[in-house]
Amino acid sequence: MLVLTRKVGEKILIGDDIIVSVIDVNRGNVRIGIEAPKRISILRHEVYEHIREENLTASRAKEAIDIRQVADFWRQTEAKGK
Amino acid sequence: MKIDTRQFGTIDVQEDKIYTMPAGMPGFPGMKRFVIIKREEIWPFLCFQCLDDAELCFYIMNPHLFKADYKVNLAQVADEMGWATADEDIKIYVIVNTSGGTPEKITANLLGPLLIHVKRFEAAQYVLHNSQYSHQTPIFVPQSDQTETPAHE
Repeated sequence: MLVLTRKVGEKILIGDDIIVSVIDVNRGNVRIGIEAPKRISILRHEVYEHIREENLTASRAKEAIDIRQVADFWRQTEAKGK
Repeated sequence: MKIDTRQFGTIDVQEDKIYTMPAGMPGFPGMKRFVIIKREEIWPFLCFQCLDDAELCFYIMNPHLFKADYKVNLAQVADEMGWATADEDIKIYVIVNTSGGTPEKITANLLGPLLIHVKRFEAAQYVLHNSQYSHQTPIFVPQSDQTETPAHE
């Protein structure tokens, strides 16, 4: 991993169209600004991890319960609600 | 063409009904081609079946069936995806997780909806920015908690 030291207000250029700026540093919190083309997905890493893990569990969950059973339950619940 | 599916054995799909996911799905690199299988017996769920791996499928559903006021900024999505901004061409689905084992514990991922462009035949799992929605939202909610606002499609 490349490690750089930057001061508040300084920037890093990644490729030729991504600019990362250090906006502010305050008690362990670093505010970062990112300028990038719209097609570049920028996410907090932990959010991406939540989604990734959720996809993995969802895809493996088919043995947990038959989807037809859930569909039946849905229709019953709906019928009761009306 | 004939494809193998996890839930329904070998089925016939139209080649022009295959959705590609240019960015793939988090957790499943290289899995890019999917079809949507609609079956009466599993409604309101649909099966999002991968063509690159017959064992891979997700159950998806229309989020507005249990969360009428669910909103995704489609203009922003279209912008980021390079899609033309025609809202009516983009369908919103959410991925359902049945690992809870009982119907009551089933959740849907409202933080990372599955967006499908019905004309471009492209799909993307779009992670919402600064969203209050959870990736584990229960789909069975007590009747009193449901809002009466009309569904946004």
